[in-house]
Amino acid sequence: MMVVMISPWLDFVAPSSAEIQQMIIHELRIPRVLFAFTAGSGLALCGLVFQAMFRNPLATPFTLGVASGASLGAAISVYSGLSFTILGLSATSLSAFAGALIAISFVYSISRFRFGFSGETLLLTGVAISFFFSSLILFIQYLSNVADSFQILRWLMGSLTVVGYQELKQLLPFVTLTAGVIIYLSRELNLLMAGDEIALSRGVSVKYVRYALFFVTSLCVGAIVALCGPIGFVGMMVPHICRLIIGEDHRYLIPATLLFGGSFLVICDTLARLVIAPAELPVGVITTLLGGPFFLWLLMRYKSRHA
Amino acid sequence: MLISARDIFVEIAGKTLLEAMSFDVAQGDYLCIVGPNGSGKSTLLKTLIAILPLSGGKLTLNAQAISQYRHKQLARLISYVPQSGGNHLSFIVEDYVKMARYSHHHVFSEWQAHDQQVIENALNITECQAFRDRKMSTLSGGECQRVMIAAALAQDTPLLILDEPTAFLDPHHQVAVHQLIRKLNQQHVKTIIEVTHDINHAAQHSQNVLALRDGKCLWQGPAKQFLDADRLQQLYQQAFVFARHPFHDRLIAVADES
Repeated sequence: MMVVMISPWLDFVAPSSAEIQQMIIHELRIPRVLFAFTAGSGLALCGLVFQAMFRNPLATPFTLGVASGASLGAAISVYSGLSFTILGLSATSLSAFAGALIAISFVYSISRFRFGFSGETLLLTGVAISFFFSSLILFIQYLSNVADSFQILRWLMGSLTVVGYQELKQLLPFVTLTAGVIIYLSRELNLLMAGDEIALSRGVSVKYVRYALFFVTSLCVGAIVALCGPIGFVGMMVPHICRLIIGEDHRYLIPATLLFGGSFLVICDTLARLVIAPAELPVGVITTLLGGPFFLWLLMRYKSRHA
Repeated sequence: MLISARDIFVEIAGKTLLEAMSFDVAQGDYLCIVGPNGSGKSTLLKTLIAILPLSGGKLTLNAQAISQYRHKQLARLISYVPQSGGNHLSFIVEDYVKMARYSHHHVFSEWQAHDQQVIENALNITECQAFRDRKMSTLSGGECQRVMIAAALAQDTPLLILDEPTAFLDPHHQVAVHQLIRKLNQQHVKTIIEVTHDINHAAQHSQNVLALRDGKCLWQGPAKQFLDADRLQQLYQQAFVFARHPFHDRLIAVADES
């Protein structure tokens, strides 16, 4: 966190005036750090919930294609130039949410349909859905004009570039709501980890808990994807590392994941700004670079344990 | 009657799994459900704990239809020990047993001295104290099975349902689990419903036997009358030979391989 806190000063070796520096900190750096923290917490929490619900460390909103669904929704809204707001939600957020919800119902019904919850089926379904949605996004990009196409491409890389507190204000309610629901359902999440039958026999209304969790995670992933683009792998790495350190009890895992997820994305974003300064990388490039090897490592571990 | 089933049907995707089944379970009863693979034993258990819905007939618990109970209410009356042990779970034994107290709590309630006492009891009865701090994935099959039973006991219900609790155990641990179940039935006055393939165990230890074949009830009655050559032949499509136990005057059935 220290690095994060002093990072705003690092890349300004020759400050022009104290006032400008003050403004940069207040209008650019602080909102960006807060925004990154909120998005990171949200992504990590959604990952945690997916891993618990599908009982698979590789299941996250990204590996199961939910983020691609949200991306497609957002891309469609950019392409068609939809601009309306319902209850303060932008058209992009709403269509990203719809995309996420469609993708998750897809994955869920396919994984329930005859195959049960076999890890392979689930992940392959997710990969298939990701590809399907990605190709649809490419198709939309192809149809769009150059400006829209560039906007979609830039946004698909995942970025936390914000000016002022506007985006933070839009994102915070979603992440807070999601965190609230997840904390409220932490005992149920513990029991879901033990299996649906056990959870049911212990008195959990498995169906309603699942619906509630699907709904809030879709909402959260939709909002994050609409505002920052699909920032991959945070939802897989962070909860897994927390599990290794803290254990399986969600009453402690949830706050830990929330804090670590937030800090993690802030650090990744700081890296993204510093690596090729004064230009900056999209933060999604950093998280994916870290996440790819991590995913492979996890896959090997998972395979050898279930062989 | 604690449980009363009248003419129940269970259908899934157009396939009839249970057909016109009627039986009663009284308070303090020990009922063994036997039958060949695919005869509907597990389906029946899942219907009893409301995992599967009925498609016909009446199934009541304390004179109220099981489908009308909320999951949490039902979980305070019935606990369930599933067939497969919890070897794949990475919970600490004590945490897993504590989680079984779910139905006695709401979201803001605190862990009480009484809760602790119940789980200590459960760990004592099942002799799980020695490994209460270990991860379940590091336990042997027999230890894990005992943890699963301990968790069901921690749920503190008058009725306990077990699905082949000794399926993966060696003879010594089979006997230990059988004795444990009998102790729960006789000393702790729990009503037991157990699915088993061990017909000698069913005949010797339980009070009543329900024999299923093809989703129908083939025979039900007192456990003492269960062992009968024609009946077993009909039930399993397999010839059995009988012998007297050398020390006790009771029958032992052995599948005839000649």
